[in-house]
Amino acid sequence: MRFAIDYTSEFKYPEAVWDSQNLLRACPTTDARQTLLHYELKTVPAARVHSYMDYWGTRVDAFGARPPHDRLLIHARSSVETRPTGPMAAAPAWKRLSEPAFVQAHLEYLAPSRHTAWNEALRAEAERRAAPAGADIVGVVLSLHRMMGSSLAYVPGSTTVGVDVNDVLRGRKGVCQDFAHLLIAMCRSLGIPARYVSGYLFSESAQSEGEPEVECVKVKTHAWTEVAIPGAGWWGLDPTNRQEIGPRHVKIGHGRDYDDVLPLRGVYLGGGDHKLDVCVSIRRATAAQQQ
Amino acid sequence: MQGALALRGTVLARELLMQGRMTSDLFTDYQVEDFFDEVFAAPGEIRAHYRPLAERLRALRPEELQRRARLRDTILRNLGITFAVYGEAQGIERTWPLDLIPRIIPADEWRHVERGLVQRVRALNCFLEDLYLGERAALRDGVIPAWLVQSSAGFCREAYGIPVPRGAHCVVAGIDVVRDARGTYRVLEDNLRTPSGVSYVLENRATLTRVLPHVFAQHRVRPVNHYGASLLSALRNLAPANASDPPRIVVLTPGIYNSAYFEHAFLARQMGIELVEGRDLVVDDHVVFMRTTRGLSRVDVIYRRVDDEFLDPAVFRSDSILGVPGLLAAVRAGNVSLANAIGNGVADDKAVYAYVPALIRFYLGEEPILPNVETYLLWEPAQRAAVLSRLHELVVKPVDASGGYGIVIGPKATEEELAAVRKSIEAKPRNYIAQEVVALSRHPTFVDDLQRGGGRIEGRHIDLRPFVLTGEKIEVIPGGLTRVALRKGSLVVNSSQGGGSKDTWVLAADEDGGSG
Repeated sequence: MRFAIDYTSEFKYPEAVWDSQNLLRACPTTDARQTLLHYELKTVPAARVHSYMDYWGTRVDAFGARPPHDRLLIHARSSVETRPTGPMAAAPAWKRLSEPAFVQAHLEYLAPSRHTAWNEALRAEAERRAAPAGADIVGVVLSLHRMMGSSLAYVPGSTTVGVDVNDVLRGRKGVCQDFAHLLIAMCRSLGIPARYVSGYLFSESAQSEGEPEVECVKVKTHAWTEVAIPGAGWWGLDPTNRQEIGPRHVKIGHGRDYDDVLPLRGVYLGGGDHKLDVCVSIRRATAAQQQ
Repeated sequence: MQGALALRGTVLARELLMQGRMTSDLFTDYQVEDFFDEVFAAPGEIRAHYRPLAERLRALRPEELQRRARLRDTILRNLGITFAVYGEAQGIERTWPLDLIPRIIPADEWRHVERGLVQRVRALNCFLEDLYLGERAALRDGVIPAWLVQSSAGFCREAYGIPVPRGAHCVVAGIDVVRDARGTYRVLEDNLRTPSGVSYVLENRATLTRVLPHVFAQHRVRPVNHYGASLLSALRNLAPANASDPPRIVVLTPGIYNSAYFEHAFLARQMGIELVEGRDLVVDDHVVFMRTTRGLSRVDVIYRRVDDEFLDPAVFRSDSILGVPGLLAAVRAGNVSLANAIGNGVADDKAVYAYVPALIRFYLGEEPILPNVETYLLWEPAQRAAVLSRLHELVVKPVDASGGYGIVIGPKATEEELAAVRKSIEAKPRNYIAQEVVALSRHPTFVDDLQRGGGRIEGRHIDLRPFVLTGEKIEVIPGGLTRVALRKGSLVVNSSQGGGSKDTWVLAADEDGGSG
């Protein structure tokens, strides 16, 4: 599928601000599942953008706005082509998780991180949920994944960034970041490497199954999880939507948790509390429209 | 009766001295004990390179020594040389304690140490380049465990891909060197972030040459006062291609409340460049400017004495007001260079330290010239068990602290301290290392106040912090800061923990016509 994505962030300040410095991660990546066709970034006030790949392989756009301004508009346009992936066919044995080469290659995604540090209760819950699947890694991951959808409620605004993943499990509600962090924490607590993905989802809302009826949707950025399966590579699961990721998922990048793929981070002087409006509009495009 | 005898003794000593026959009065009661002594090869037997100094000191009457001590204190006070001790309630600024007796290192000994330091810093620069800009060959080839690097608090993923001109990550390194019971020079720890202390090296020298001018003149001591010029040249070496000519270089300090502020100001003055704080700099379109009375002026190289995590609130701690927003992107864009580079903390992590000899072999294909101190890695179950069974005999250090903070010296620790450190190790074995206690070499040192009629000399433990500069070439300033553990029997030399210092004289080689 081909998508045209318009990411817009607009900051409004009650008084003028100056010396603003920002880091944006909004550019879709290119991997086996998707190809980035076009990307451009515009800001108001206009700024010289310095772009680079970070440690995790995500494109970062760095830009500042030095003169006083009471509004900062960030507009990133991209077009991307996604491909369907086949079903997870591998069924590796549990013991392959502890093969030294596998562990070595996935170290960053096995350790607890700020948003995925699990306690004993969380680990015990993961173990209990995993038990019926026995030594089948894929089965264990699927049963943890299904548990997210069946026992957690998606409640927009119910949590803030930085909520403890153990509290999410206790409170049984959250937003897509929380779902992703919880699935990551559960997998890692059992020794299965898992990572956080930031991206865009072409759907009516953050939680909706099936393809939207319309050609264009207005959403927020989305988050999901990738799990490393020995012999098969990374496997994308969207616990918020109880589905494996498909052609409607457009990936920006991954990391240990939210902090590593923060969509937008910035500092400025003056101005007081800002008002932020983030909008992502995704339009399905035909190849012809793209030209 | 007793007073008369004592008086006669003094008169006699003076007469003997005038006849040049007196053997010793300063050193008669000196106990060499079971340590490597820098001055005495055996009780009463002074090493050759210390003999001229010993003769000179003996020639000074007690009143004369007192006068020199007063002069020393006046000079240090007038220079404003103080240092701060964190965590002390009463006035944190203290006058710098400098012993009247210098430490002397013969030319051949120094050549060995210097070669070892250059080798070590070369390897550490290679390691940091490999980690942040290379293919991480040392991790791939298993020279050092990848998990150890990735779990280091000093491993800075934000530094990944940031260019470092000429691979000079450790522009200024302070490598702490000690001598063990056999006199072998060993590296105790590497300081690769913002090592301090070099200002004391220069001020110690400036002071002692005025306090003991004739003693100094009798030796061919290699100078240290070119440090500012050498540092400036190393900083120029980092200038980006698009820098102005000559490049504008500044010293970035966290400000007057930092314990090393004196040194920041001192070095800026030595180099003749501006001392700035974060708020004096601004970034515009990834170029750093300094605010001046004549508007903005472009900055090309920053010698920063601000820690990584405070350097840029847009990347690290967003609440930091010590840094410069947007600085990292400017460095990344190649418009400004930092000394030291970001992320060096991973290479002076005390657990990574244990692998430095292997890194030297790996990157340079050479055997390490200076050995490490025997170190135990506490995440290895067998090593941990062995360490925990004899904690009272070992030194335990947190892996990411410096300045002597958090160190527990087994033989001197209380039961409570040992129990606490045991708990810490068991909870987070990665965060600590254990080392054999090094019986640091000792050096005769004045131990009581000369000005109040004292003047007793006893052996005190010392170490050495040489300063190594990576410029076009790697250069070691002859000597370095010799720190003295002033408390009797103490092994803690850090000035932040109440240590003293000595001027350190590296002698010129004989072929240069020195007196040796």
